[in-house]
Amino acid sequence: MAALVYYYITSGKTIHIRRIPGLDAIEEAVGRSAEMGKPVICSFGIDTFNYWTLAGLAILSHVARLTARTGTRLIVPTGGDNAALIVRPVAEEIVQTAYKLEGAEERYNPDDLPFLSGQQYAYTGGYIGIMQRTRPGSVIMTGSHYSEAMNIAETSNAVGAITITSGCYISNVAALACASDYILIGEEAPAAGAYLSDDPAQRASIKVQDLFKWLALGLIILGLAAYSVGNDWIIRLLAT
Amino acid sequence: MADILKNRQLQLVVLVLSFLLVFVPYFIDIPQLDAASSELVVITSIVTAFTVALAVVSQYQRGMHYIVKRSKGWPFKAYMLISIALMLVFALFGRDSGPYEWVMLSIINPLSSVNYSILAFYMSSTAARAFRARNTKALLLLLVGFIVILYQAPLTGAMFPGINPIGVYFGATFVTAVGSMFLISVTVGAIVFGVRVLLGKEPSVLGSGGRE
Repeated sequence: MAALVYYYITSGKTIHIRRIPGLDAIEEAVGRSAEMGKPVICSFGIDTFNYWTLAGLAILSHVARLTARTGTRLIVPTGGDNAALIVRPVAEEIVQTAYKLEGAEERYNPDDLPFLSGQQYAYTGGYIGIMQRTRPGSVIMTGSHYSEAMNIAETSNAVGAITITSGCYISNVAALACASDYILIGEEAPAAGAYLSDDPAQRASIKVQDLFKWLALGLIILGLAAYSVGNDWIIRLLAT
Repeated sequence: MADILKNRQLQLVVLVLSFLLVFVPYFIDIPQLDAASSELVVITSIVTAFTVALAVVSQYQRGMHYIVKRSKGWPFKAYMLISIALMLVFALFGRDSGPYEWVMLSIINPLSSVNYSILAFYMSSTAARAFRARNTKALLLLLVGFIVILYQAPLTGAMFPGINPIGVYFGATFVTAVGSMFLISVTVGAIVFGVRVLLGKEPSVLGSGGRE
């Protein structure tokens, strides 16, 4: 799989990839906030550097450039325990660089990246408070968010913001799918960096993900059919 | 010096070397590599510990800036800085007893529990919005949701024994399948994302907001 990705990235081939509504909606959400003169809230989670946090940072990078371009205020609530503190300076650097690249460095405000708390639910309270006070036009909550994600998504809905989320475990995805306007499922969030880039070679790497997902889908249908007739071999294979 | 450390190529070299140092010992048994890999993990822990100290200093600098300028919300900043200082002093008397433990057990934990329990109301309001039979798919969701809620309720087994096998069937087939699909898609995404990071195609990982 890694070799296939390397081939696509280095070959520079332009390949048609499927649309990801959650990622397409980011531009629309920021645009709507700009039109309404409301801020955008974008968070990347409360955990240390892991798969989901990195995905959240990739999305933050894109959102920061969009807000810098449209002159929209961007608020990035940060928090998490001691291990998560190492992520915060990276997020600051990302937002500052994005504003610099868009020629809007003077609009970068470090106070819009508040550190809320090291406690999960104190962070949630702070996040909800920011939403109630600032009434954002859109809330883009991706990365390593856990049980607090539901509180945030539901409050976002209550204040009338476009809510774009991603869940990092299946029961969270199920709940967020009901609470959000758009949701990024599974590998869609980390694909953001490639999907939203202008580089066709990077976008082509998403094709590899889809190929292997189709393969997995085939296995699952086969597993369901086999289990229905009393054979659990494929279910045991997927469970290992 | 700062310019050298911010050099993109240098950062990528460090990234790739760190990756190899942790990844290779999983497959090849070389004691020196194992030792180097363990050292790297220790170094990471030390760097993380330093970030905690830096975070406290940074909070104080920002907080004091707010307070001196009497910016909006400055009393909250003052309250936060006093709390940090107090907890630091309390921790000197020990974390398993005394005032530190009292603050944790009597204030922070109950408040966190209250916030967590509010989740139930958020779940209810979401369910009320989602479980509306507006079309066939929504009707299916409503029916399955109703059966699963009944299956999970403690008295259902006694009052409606017929629900249990249906609940078990949903759990053993659809839930297992969707859970596995999620894990598979995450794993596939992680591999593809990792390759992009190692090729330097994910600038956000290195803290830059896009291609410069």
